[in-house]
Amino acid sequence: MRKLLEVLRGIVDELSDQRAYRCHLAAHGAAHSAEEWRKFSDELYLAKSTRARCC
Amino acid sequence: MLRIFTRLLWALIAVAAAFAMATIARSRGEPVNSMWLVIAAVCTYLIGYRFYAGFLAARVMALDDQRATPAERLRDGHDYEPTNKWIVFGHHFAAIAGPGPLVGPTLAAQFGYLPGALWIIVGAVLAGAVQDFVVLFCSLRRDGKSLGQMAREEIGKTGGFAALITVLLIMVILLAVVALVIVNALKSSPWGTFTIAATMPIAIFMGLYLRYWRPGKVLECSGVGFVLIMASIFGGQAVSESATWAPWFTFSAIAIAGGLVVYGFLASALPVWLLLAPRGYLSTFVKLGVVLLLGLGVLTVHPTLQLPPLTRFIDGTGPIFAGKIFPFCFITIACGAISGFHALISSGTTPKMLAKETNARAVGYGSMLLESFVALMALIAAASLQPGVFFAVNSPAGIVGSTADAAVAKITSWGFPVTAPEMQQLATDVGEKTLFYRTGGAPSLALGMAHIFSFVGGSRGLIAFWYHFAIMFEVLFILTVLDAGTRVGRFMLQDLLAMKKTSSTPGMLATSAVIVAAWGYFLFQGVRDPLGGINSLWPLFGIANQLLATIALCVATTILIKMHGVKYLWVTLVPLAWLVVVTFTAGWQKIFSPLPDLGFLAQADKLAADPQTSATATLIFNARLDAAVCGVFLILVTVILIDSIRVWTGILSGTRDARLTETPFIQSELA
Repeated sequence: MRKLLEVLRGIVDELSDQRAYRCHLAAHGAAHSAEEWRKFSDELYLAKSTRARCC
Repeated sequence: MLRIFTRLLWALIAVAAAFAMATIARSRGEPVNSMWLVIAAVCTYLIGYRFYAGFLAARVMALDDQRATPAERLRDGHDYEPTNKWIVFGHHFAAIAGPGPLVGPTLAAQFGYLPGALWIIVGAVLAGAVQDFVVLFCSLRRDGKSLGQMAREEIGKTGGFAALITVLLIMVILLAVVALVIVNALKSSPWGTFTIAATMPIAIFMGLYLRYWRPGKVLECSGVGFVLIMASIFGGQAVSESATWAPWFTFSAIAIAGGLVVYGFLASALPVWLLLAPRGYLSTFVKLGVVLLLGLGVLTVHPTLQLPPLTRFIDGTGPIFAGKIFPFCFITIACGAISGFHALISSGTTPKMLAKETNARAVGYGSMLLESFVALMALIAAASLQPGVFFAVNSPAGIVGSTADAAVAKITSWGFPVTAPEMQQLATDVGEKTLFYRTGGAPSLALGMAHIFSFVGGSRGLIAFWYHFAIMFEVLFILTVLDAGTRVGRFMLQDLLAMKKTSSTPGMLATSAVIVAAWGYFLFQGVRDPLGGINSLWPLFGIANQLLATIALCVATTILIKMHGVKYLWVTLVPLAWLVVVTFTAGWQKIFSPLPDLGFLAQADKLAADPQTSATATLIFNARLDAAVCGVFLILVTVILIDSIRVWTGILSGTRDARLTETPFIQSELA
């Protein structure tokens, strides 16, 4: 049950880009800030918006 | 002992699948409970996953956890990142699940529930999931390359270019048809229109919230957005009941289509963070929540299927769309059984996240089975409606007559009794003025879902809320496809024109306008079509989608031939051959059938014989344009097929290089 909850939490983290943001912070050695989130989300959204959406 | 028990268990599952299938197939006249469909589907999926996907993974692909995946080798904390299998599964499923598996099966229910259900189950296990799995594997062994890149490398430059053009054209038709579904769901509906209109300021509020007020708090922001959207559903009810406000939110189909075109342009041109991103988060969570709710609802309520297993419309005279069960049932179901678009996702982000090669089985094959299950739930929701109601909602005025009395008389004459007071009562129950001529599948699916949800919710009085909740879900979901698709189309066009993606504002505005104008044209064509538009646009979309799957299977077949010669050729060649036969038959009939309801050219000729007005001239041009678009699809795919066959025969005869373009083996440290 604990494992299932962990997986569900992981999926929610993935879909809300929290995992990607943590990776971004770790890769850049940065701490969370409004500016850092904006930098991350600008890059992420640009990449996301060029990918085909499924029908 | 354990081995014997396992074998017994699988034998039991196989018997249960066969028994459930036989029960469904043998029922003639007596109503069937939807649980038989669920049992048949789940048992078939389990067998497909355990045995066929297991065979593909072990023998055909030889998945090897000792081999480092692109996520491990190219790890950058950004695109490439080894991720838990089930998290990738959730990500992949959220990316492949679009409105297609909800709308397609609903429309295909005009043939009865049986053909659609069988194709959704069998097609997914033997074709759709195979395509997704094999393409994911191919991309996984090639550093996560896209389908277009693999087509260029494995088949040739012509194939790659044809794939790009095909995707762009499909995108245009897809956006037009999903926009038409929205138009038909919202026309003359102040409740629905208010709710959806309210999602725009809510999305912008969420965008500002996430960027300036609470940066990074995506879940919190999505929660706030969800509460506001729920409030907007209740607001919509108040608006629809207000003599002052209702006229402000009551629009004709043309007006809503115009609004969507303006919206599409703004969504493509505005910064992503302001509208698309927050709405994308909200739509993803609502989508997964509703799919889960629908699954639980069907399992709890297990409604009796009211539609017969087969209707008289298998002969091609259906009111929702023209064409016989073969090939049009398969074209219409589209994404619920096999979708070419999935190949773009399987060769996009997903291969860059897999930590182990063997995870591709659950992610590629397993998530398509889940999508197929969603399609089956949609079919059950639609088939649980009274047949007369189903056809009254989905038939265009051009077929059943433009008054309620004419429509019910016509539908009753088909053997599906329904009365005008009955339809009026239903419309009142769900807070609408009328439910006639609401073609496109979304309203009838919403009705089916509302019936199921209101049973689970314990109060039939809530049916109006659930109907509008389902409409909100479908439209929100489709708007996400519409705005993101317009943007992707813009980038594709910029690629084709060799423009930079971050090009100047005039360039960006011009390419956005071209894409919006392209799908907007087809949307207006659909809105003005006396047969409701869905009759011509959905089959065109289905043909295009299945042709994209043909391209994906051509690439996959080429790679399998390079790996094993002819030994496992059948794995992709059989679904490929089936798709070629289905799509080319459907394409040919849509262009050249002498029946005006079916063939675009015959329709143009029939209109040309009538007295000419400017409206008739436009309809004639549109029919010929649709024929031309369909012809272009067929020609593009023929080019890729010929190119592929040339490559295959070259490899098999030894006159062509059969070297694999896989990245070399590197020992994984995660194994």
